[in-house]
Amino acid sequence: MVSTKLYTAIYAVLFVSATVQVLVEFAGLSYWLAFGVIMVLSAAKAVLVAAYFQHLRFEPRSLTYLVGIGLVAALALTLAASYSLL
Amino acid sequence: MTDASPEQDAAADGGHEVAHGGDDHGHDFPGTGSIKRWFVTTNHKDVGILYVVTSLFFLVLGGVLAWLMRVQLLAPRALGEGILAPVAYNQAVSAHGLLMVFWFLSPFAFGFANYVVPLQLGAKDLAFPRLNALSYWLYLFSGILFGVSFFQGGTFSGGWTMYAPLNVPTFTPDVGASTAVLALVLFVASVTVSSVNFLTTMHRMRAEGLTLRNLPLFSWTILLTAWMMLFAFAALLAALLVLSSDRLLGTTYFAMESPAGALLWTHLFWFFGHPEVYIVFFPALGVMAEVFQTFTGRRIVGRKWFILAMVLVAIQSFAVWMHHMFLTSINLQVKTLFMITTIGISLPFDLMVFALIYTMLKGKIRFTTPFLFVFGALLLFIIGGITGVFLGAVVLDYEFRGTYWVVAHFHYVMVGGVTALVGGLYYWFPKMTGRMYDEFLGKLHFAVYFVGFNLLYFPLFVAWETPRRVFDYAPELAPWHQLATVGGFVLGLSFLIMFYNLFKSAFVGDPAPDNPWEYATTAEWAVPSPPPLENFDGTPTYRDGHLEFLDAGEVAPSEDRSSGPTGAAVSDGGVTASATTAVSSALPTAEATEVEGPSHASIWPFVLSAGAFLVLLGLSPLQDAAFPEGMVGAAYATTAVAGGVVTLGSLVAMGLEPFHGPVFEEGEAWPFAGIDNGKVGMWIFLASDVVLFGGFIGAYVFTRVAFGWTGWEPIPSDPIPGLVNTYILLTSSFTVVLALVAAEKKHKWGLVTSLGATFVLGIGFLVNKGLEWQHLFHEGLWLSTNVRASTFFLTTGLHAAHVIAGLVVALYLTARAWRGAYLEDSRSVEYFGLYWHFVDIVWLFLFPLFYIL
Repeated sequence: MVSTKLYTAIYAVLFVSATVQVLVEFAGLSYWLAFGVIMVLSAAKAVLVAAYFQHLRFEPRSLTYLVGIGLVAALALTLAASYSLL
Repeated sequence: MTDASPEQDAAADGGHEVAHGGDDHGHDFPGTGSIKRWFVTTNHKDVGILYVVTSLFFLVLGGVLAWLMRVQLLAPRALGEGILAPVAYNQAVSAHGLLMVFWFLSPFAFGFANYVVPLQLGAKDLAFPRLNALSYWLYLFSGILFGVSFFQGGTFSGGWTMYAPLNVPTFTPDVGASTAVLALVLFVASVTVSSVNFLTTMHRMRAEGLTLRNLPLFSWTILLTAWMMLFAFAALLAALLVLSSDRLLGTTYFAMESPAGALLWTHLFWFFGHPEVYIVFFPALGVMAEVFQTFTGRRIVGRKWFILAMVLVAIQSFAVWMHHMFLTSINLQVKTLFMITTIGISLPFDLMVFALIYTMLKGKIRFTTPFLFVFGALLLFIIGGITGVFLGAVVLDYEFRGTYWVVAHFHYVMVGGVTALVGGLYYWFPKMTGRMYDEFLGKLHFAVYFVGFNLLYFPLFVAWETPRRVFDYAPELAPWHQLATVGGFVLGLSFLIMFYNLFKSAFVGDPAPDNPWEYATTAEWAVPSPPPLENFDGTPTYRDGHLEFLDAGEVAPSEDRSSGPTGAAVSDGGVTASATTAVSSALPTAEATEVEGPSHASIWPFVLSAGAFLVLLGLSPLQDAAFPEGMVGAAYATTAVAGGVVTLGSLVAMGLEPFHGPVFEEGEAWPFAGIDNGKVGMWIFLASDVVLFGGFIGAYVFTRVAFGWTGWEPIPSDPIPGLVNTYILLTSSFTVVLALVAAEKKHKWGLVTSLGATFVLGIGFLVNKGLEWQHLFHEGLWLSTNVRASTFFLTTGLHAAHVIAGLVVALYLTARAWRGAYLEDSRSVEYFGLYWHFVDIVWLFLFPLFYIL
C-alpha cells in the first residue's frame, strides 16, 4: 500500500491543480484551448483520486475496466447524442 | 436511498468466506406455511417464488387493460364512443405497456433467475441476501405505487415511451401521472440493487471448476441481462429523475421552449430502451436453450458461438438506440450509421436461431409442455425478428413508424419471449413446488395460447395502416381488429387453464423426483425438489469435470483448476451435473459448528421499501417545488416525512442487525478473484452511478450544444464558491483516506477524528452550496427560470444529494467507530471511502463544466 506521506503529497497536488484550473480561466487563452486544458486537468485529478485514494492502482485491473465500461457508455451517449444534432 | 444501501449492507452481508458444512440454521426461521416467513425471508428460492407470483399478478392487471383496449377497438370509434373515454383509453394504453414491460416481463424472468441461478452456480444464496429481499420489496411497492396512480386523478397517459413534451404537467397534469413516473423510479432502484447483487454473485460465487465457459446457458443469459440492466437502467434513472424534477420541481429540460427538449428525452429513453428489449428477451432465450437441450437430449449446437453471439448482442445493444428516432430531426449521417449497427445486430440472432433449429434436427424431440412453449416461442420470435428488420431500414421506417406494424412486431418479439418464459414456468414448476403439473392441461394451455396469440397479433400486421395509440381507424380494417379482439380473449383466457393446472398441482400433483426430466443436466436437477434451505449438503465442485459435493473437511483448494470438459456425456456447459452425492457428509465438523450459520430472515427490507413508498407517494403532488394548499397538501407532506423517518430508521436498523451472508469457498471468480464480495458490489454499483451522472452530464452537454455551446453563460457569475467547495471536497477525501489508515493501524481516536472531520467538511460543503444558491435565488434565478438554470441546479443538486447520502453513512460510521468498531475489520470504512471519492471525482468535472466553461 501507500504511505501517508504519498497520500499527503497527492492531496497537495490535487489542491494546487484545482487552483490552476481556475487561473487558466483568467489567463486569457482562447476559449477552446482553455477548455482543453481545464478538462485535461480535471481528468488528471480524477485519475489521481481513483488510482490512489480509491487504490485502483493496487487492485486487480478488472475493477478499473469495470469503471471504464461505465465511462465509455456515458461518453457514447453524450457524444453520439450531441453529434446527432449537428 | 439507493446510494446508501449497498454500503450499509456490504459491511454486514457479504464476505464471510468460511468453510462450513451444510446445516440448516433455521431455528427461528418460520416454515413456508407461515405468513411471517414471506415477509422476512431473504432466501433466494423464496424470493424467486415471490417474484413469480407477483409478476403474474401484474400480467393479469396488464392483460385486463389490454382487453379494455381490444373491446374499444372492435370498431373504429369517434370521441366518446365505446367503453373507454378518450383519456381513459390513453391511460389504458400507457399503463398496459409500462406494466407489462416493467412489472411483468423482467420480474417474471428474474423469479426464475432468483430460484435457479444460485443452484446452477453451486452457491447457497446470492451474495447479499438482504439486498435481494430489498429488490423484491422495492419492486412490489413500486407496483403498488403505480396502482395508486390510477386513483390520483388518473395515471400517466402519454404512452409507455413517455415522450416529451407530453410527459410534462402542461400536457399530463394529473398527480397520478407524476406518481407513475415516481413508481418507475422506485422500480429502477429495485433493478439496480438486483443487478449489483446478481453480478457480484455470478462472478464471485461459482463453484470450483465452473468457469464462465462452462456456465449453463440460462445462467449465461441472466449474467448478460444483469450487465445490460446495470448500465441501461442507470440511463433510465437519469431520464426519470430529470423528468421527475421537471414535473415536481419545475425544471424545464423537456419543456416546449427548451432547445431540443423532446429530442433529449428520446436519446435518454432509447439509450435505455433498446438494451431493454434484450433485457426482457435474453432470459427467454436462456429458457429456450435449456429446454431445447433437455427435450432434444442434445447439447446445443455451436455452444461456444451461441454464447459469443449473445455477448456481441449485449454489447451492440448499446449502439443501436437511434433507430427508434429515424423520424426525428437527427442528422442523416447518424441515421445511416445506426441503420448499419441495427442490421448488424440481427446477424448474431440469426446464428442463435439456426443453432436452436439445428439442435432440434440433431436431437430426439420429446413434445412435453415446456418444449411446446419454447418451440412456439422460437417460431414467434422468427416472425417478430424478421418484421423488425423492416423497421431498421431508414426508408421503410418512414412508412411504418407509428403504425400497427410496429405494434405487431414488438408483440411478436416481447410476447414471444413471454411464451418461452411460460415454458420455463412449466419446466421449473416441479423443482419449485416438488409436484408435477398436469401434462394434458399443459398441452391444452399451449394449444389455446398459440392459437390465441396468432389470432391476436397476426391480424395487426394485416391491418398495419392503423395508427398506433389511436382508437379511430379506417372502417375497412374493422374485421381484422375484430379477429384480433377475439384472439385477445382466447390468449387471455388460456391462462385460466394454466392457473387452474398449476394451483391445483401445487397441492395435489404427483410428487416430483429430483430430476423429472431425462437428460436435464444442470445442477438444479441434482438436488431434491424443492431444494433444502441451503441448497446443497457440502460444497459443490466441478473440479473433476462433473458435479460433486465435498464435505467441510475436503474443501482444500484444488491444484488443477483447468478441469475443462473432457469429452464424454456433456450436455450443457461441458460439465455434467449428475447427482454423485456420495462424498457428501451431513455431519458438520466440530470447528464448523462454532461458526455462526448463515441468516435467512430480516424484516428491514420490507420496512425500508414501505418507507420509500411513502416518501414517493408523499412527494407525488408537488408542482414547482410546492405542495398543494390546504389539508391535502399537508397530508401528503406528512406522508413524505413519515416515510423518510421509516426509510432512515430501517437503514440504520439494517446496518446494526447481525446478519451473516451465505458461506462459500471461493471457487471460480473470474475476473474478480480475490476481491471481497462487498468491494466488488460497491464497484459495480459505482459503475452504474457513473452512467447515472453520465446521463445528467450528457443531458447538459446535449442541451448546451442545441442551445449553442459558446452562447451559454455559466449560471454562477463567480467561480470562487465553487472553488472553495472543490477544496472542501478534496480535503474530505483526504480525511477519509486518513480514516482508513487509522483503522488499519487500529488507532481508534485517529479513526473517529478523521471520520468526524469528513462529516464536518461535508456539512461545510452543503452550507457553502446553500449560501451560493440563496444568493442566486436572490438574483432572481430559480430552477424554472430557463434551461441553463435548470441544468445547473439539478445536476449540482443530484451531486449534493449524493453528498447527503454519504454524510448519513459517515455519521453512522463515526458513531460506530466511537464505540470501537472497524478496528478489527475496516472494510466498511474502505467501502464508504470508495463511494465518497467517487462523489469527489464527479465534482471535479461538475465544477469546471458548470462554473468555469
